[in-house]
Amino acid sequence: MSDTLRQVGIDIQESEENRGLVAAIRADNPELTVRHLPGLVKIQAAGQIVINRETVERELGREWETGEFQLAIVSFAGNLSEWDDDQIIVKWEH
Amino acid sequence: MQYELRYQVIEPKRQTYQNVIDRFGDQPASRYLEATLDVEPRENFHYRPTWDQHRELYDADYTALKLTDPYSYTDPRQFYYTPYVTNRANLHDEFTKQMAYLEERELLAKLPTAWRTVLTTAILPLRHYESGAQMVSVGGARFAYGTSLEQCCTYAAFDRIGNAQMLSRVGIALGSGTGDLLQVAKREWLDSEHLQPLRRFTEEAMVTPDWAEGLVAVDLVDSLVYPVLYRELDEIALTSGAGAYSLFTQYLHTWFKDQRKWLDALIKAWAADEEHGAENREHLSRIVATWNPLAHEAATELARVVDHQLPDAGTVAALARTTAAAEQRWAQVTGGAA
Repeated sequence: MSDTLRQVGIDIQESEENRGLVAAIRADNPELTVRHLPGLVKIQAAGQIVINRETVERELGREWETGEFQLAIVSFAGNLSEWDDDQIIVKWEH
Repeated sequence: MQYELRYQVIEPKRQTYQNVIDRFGDQPASRYLEATLDVEPRENFHYRPTWDQHRELYDADYTALKLTDPYSYTDPRQFYYTPYVTNRANLHDEFTKQMAYLEERELLAKLPTAWRTVLTTAILPLRHYESGAQMVSVGGARFAYGTSLEQCCTYAAFDRIGNAQMLSRVGIALGSGTGDLLQVAKREWLDSEHLQPLRRFTEEAMVTPDWAEGLVAVDLVDSLVYPVLYRELDEIALTSGAGAYSLFTQYLHTWFKDQRKWLDALIKAWAADEEHGAENREHLSRIVATWNPLAHEAATELARVVDHQLPDAGTVAALARTTAAAEQRWAQVTGGAA
């Protein structure tokens, strides 16, 4: 078993609304690589990506439910290891 | 013949406008930031205003409350023209539907007499207060330095006229489709003793030379009147057969929550500013010390009239609770100096 962390990734549709979401993910995950493709923002990090409701709300300036995440994503690589009202964590679980 | 479809990314030459690049580097930015940052002209004004030789057309010195960088403050709601208009249009549509319902069922006409009196003597005259508050916000829209501040004031001014319109529509519905009650409410505003402290307050806030002082002063009244009349009284309304009152005040209450978002953030930004913070806190304490007793007096007179009509409403008591909460909030902002 290797020690290197596998990359997890989330692809988010690029739109005005989602820019705040990307900014929030950036703020909460310092080790992030963000690539902008036409119409798509590809986010990758080693190990895990955390999305906190509070951070997203601060970036968007409005209330945000973690369920709205579904409207933003195009696809993702990893497991949704946690998804509750306050936090979403994407990581590989095995 | 065969075509090969390939995926090719064309890098845009620039991700955003120069005003944003100057601050955050070349990365995709929100429409709000693009439409806000450093938009206001800073230099090369041809003339000084003829009515004020000592200041520029756009000048940070129109208020004692200053920010080192006005763009360090941004509207937490991120309102620029389109989202603002969309948001408020939706709110107004809902209000219109609610009014249609109230009118169809004649719910306002069926209000108990005491509640009718409360509406004509205390609530409807507040449309003149809203109008005054609009002027104060317009003052901010003109004299605030920095687009991030002045556009908040502009939207607040539009909101205020919207609130006045909501109250007018309630008055018209209550007067069975005529403006009669609005006339009555205006006479109340001009002549009734219980409204004079508020009227005086509003007029003085309008002529305060420092736009920010006027804005904070009006907010002091708002923080008493809105929670007490549009929230606490609304709960009493629900239990005492005046559900119609609750149905329309919820919009005003919702608006007030929205107003708080940008204004609280601005007050916090003033108080926490690295360069001007200490002075700002002093100015804020002075403003609160000057205007708060007057705001309190104005709100108390209103609350008394309501309690006179509705002895069980406990509006004066609610006002005392609200005052305590507001004072605590200010003490926190100004570091106990207020």
